[in-house]
Amino acid sequence: MRPGKLLHRRVAVPVVGAVIGCAAGVASIGLGPAVAQRISPEPRAVFDATHLPPLLTTRNERPELAYDVHCSAGDDEGAEAGCDVRGAVFVRRAGRGSFERLALSSRTSNSSSRQLTARVPDSLSSQPGGFEYYAELEAPDLGERITVPAGGVEAPHTSRPLEAPVDVALGRHSFGDARRTGVRLALAAWGDGPAQFGLEQGRQLGAIGPSAFDVDAAGTVSVLDQVHRRLLRWRKGARDPIRVPLSIAGTIADLAVADDGSAYVLESTAEPGRNALVKRFDDAGRELEAIETAERTSSQIRMAQGGALVLGHPSHHWMPVTVGGVPASRGAQLRHGRAGRSLRSGGEIVLFRHANELRVAMISGRSVTRSWRLTSATSLAEVQLAEPIGQRLVLVVRLYDDEIDEFVVLTVDRKGLVDRFTLDAADWAETAPLSRFRLVGTSLYRLGSTPAGTFVDRFDLEVR
Amino acid sequence: MLISRTLLVTFGLALAVGWVGSAAAYHTRFVADNCNYAAPTPTSVITREGSAAVALRARHEGYQWAGGCWNDNDRDDAPGDPTTDAGTGGEGGDCSGFTFKVWREALNTSDSSFQQWGMLRYVHGPYTAAAFKAGSGAPNVTVSKSALIKMDALASDGHIGLVYAVNPDGTDQIIEAKGEAYGTNIWTRTYRGSSSYSGVRRTGWSS
Repeated sequence: MRPGKLLHRRVAVPVVGAVIGCAAGVASIGLGPAVAQRISPEPRAVFDATHLPPLLTTRNERPELAYDVHCSAGDDEGAEAGCDVRGAVFVRRAGRGSFERLALSSRTSNSSSRQLTARVPDSLSSQPGGFEYYAELEAPDLGERITVPAGGVEAPHTSRPLEAPVDVALGRHSFGDARRTGVRLALAAWGDGPAQFGLEQGRQLGAIGPSAFDVDAAGTVSVLDQVHRRLLRWRKGARDPIRVPLSIAGTIADLAVADDGSAYVLESTAEPGRNALVKRFDDAGRELEAIETAERTSSQIRMAQGGALVLGHPSHHWMPVTVGGVPASRGAQLRHGRAGRSLRSGGEIVLFRHANELRVAMISGRSVTRSWRLTSATSLAEVQLAEPIGQRLVLVVRLYDDEIDEFVVLTVDRKGLVDRFTLDAADWAETAPLSRFRLVGTSLYRLGSTPAGTFVDRFDLEVR
Repeated sequence: MLISRTLLVTFGLALAVGWVGSAAAYHTRFVADNCNYAAPTPTSVITREGSAAVALRARHEGYQWAGGCWNDNDRDDAPGDPTTDAGTGGEGGDCSGFTFKVWREALNTSDSSFQQWGMLRYVHGPYTAAAFKAGSGAPNVTVSKSALIKMDALASDGHIGLVYAVNPDGTDQIIEAKGEAYGTNIWTRTYRGSSSYSGVRRTGWSS
């Protein structure tokens, strides 16, 4: 080849490549959305149901099973037309016999629109071990059916009676009193530096900071800095964190760290048509597994004896993400769903908050071994944490009125309230919903935030 | 061999340069191609169940700051549009636009009547999240958070979401247009207890 011709090719080829590449790059931006947005389908039918299961009842309570149903065949302008929904509840004594069919009757409630309801017969609701049930709802005009909970006959809801709960009356809460100061273990400012936490902010979007954390038995604190797609990990006593990059979505997520150091991340966003993923990473951040969760909304991930559990909705069931050591299919997750969260120490814990009352039961097998009934004259919001320490139970609950809120840390035993202190809400930045507290050994850890940054504090609880 | 490698490398580099350069001027024709500006249909009967159906149809669709038009194909047809630009023409409502349409309110803030907008009607409405939080506008009132029921709202100065269901652990299932990276969906939230949020209710429901 002549030198001149070679020179021409050396100049011409990159120029041609650059021109085509630039054009393709620009086109990819412009055409991507343009192609996708051509799809403008007809509105589809809506059929959904929500149900708050009476997981724990008190003596002489006659639980009513109520299902809020939403059904619409037409477009938004036809939303008020609704559609016919019918169904039945199948009930039996917990763990025994065959399911009895109860027809659901329809009513319109001022508080929650259309409901299908059924009253559980006394012969079942008065059973010492409680009763199990599931509902099958049908919209004949749409040809659609829903089973609630989705595990149906294999994983029904269980309602358990509390025969002799320990009553704890919290009275009216005095905000700002009995505050306790913890030991600061980790602190990082907002920013994009190597030891700073990312902050997701935008127009019409509140501040979202590190969305979860966990602490292992050695005292290592791992904070999920999802904006930077990494963990910041403080070994016990360390001032500076180790960075562990993770392949995650970068949106709000929950975190649970296993005894072997692997980290489970529960995403809150998903690809179209899919549910959110649980991703497992090894200690160095290498992705080991990605498992699709079973239900539309998953709010928590926690470690149990057999692996990680995810709390799914609308079933309100804790479901394993692995069964027999292998990733669980959607069906397997649903079939293993339970209202109680299995504890690392064995047994289960069941929570039921209704208005200003919180009921908690420790379960062994099918029996309630210990239970508490807490009442408050101040509004109770979410239960951030409920973990046993020996024969005691530690609860972290948010108390609120329309102006102020704070967390109250309660330790209860077989006789009643043992210890109580409060913590400033310190929730300037949003996290995953129930990721602000962890209990390891006898230490309570909290993830807090202010306009300056995020911190992790430790509170050593009194144990006798 | 050398020529094809050079072509490949320069193509790749230029592709990246072209993409980065164009991303700053991201826009989409979603609104232009799909949405309308039709007048709303006044209606006298309006229920929380009907509003829930309107909200559920927006699930899995996109989020667009200052937007208010979506279809029903369960995907964001304009993903990744810059959150700082209200004029990208992308799919979805923002949190307050979503609430406005689900609550089927009127553009005139002194008008508390119910208006059916339709999901492909491009409208945001006159309220920001902060305005909802303050109970601004004839149809809207603030209510105690402990009294909130289905399809009432929890609003802060920067966000608003609608109560869809209550969970046994005291959290709420909130249906909301959360943000560009999130779209519109149902999530478990702890807004009710947070002092950043106030309770807001649309008045005048038929049931």
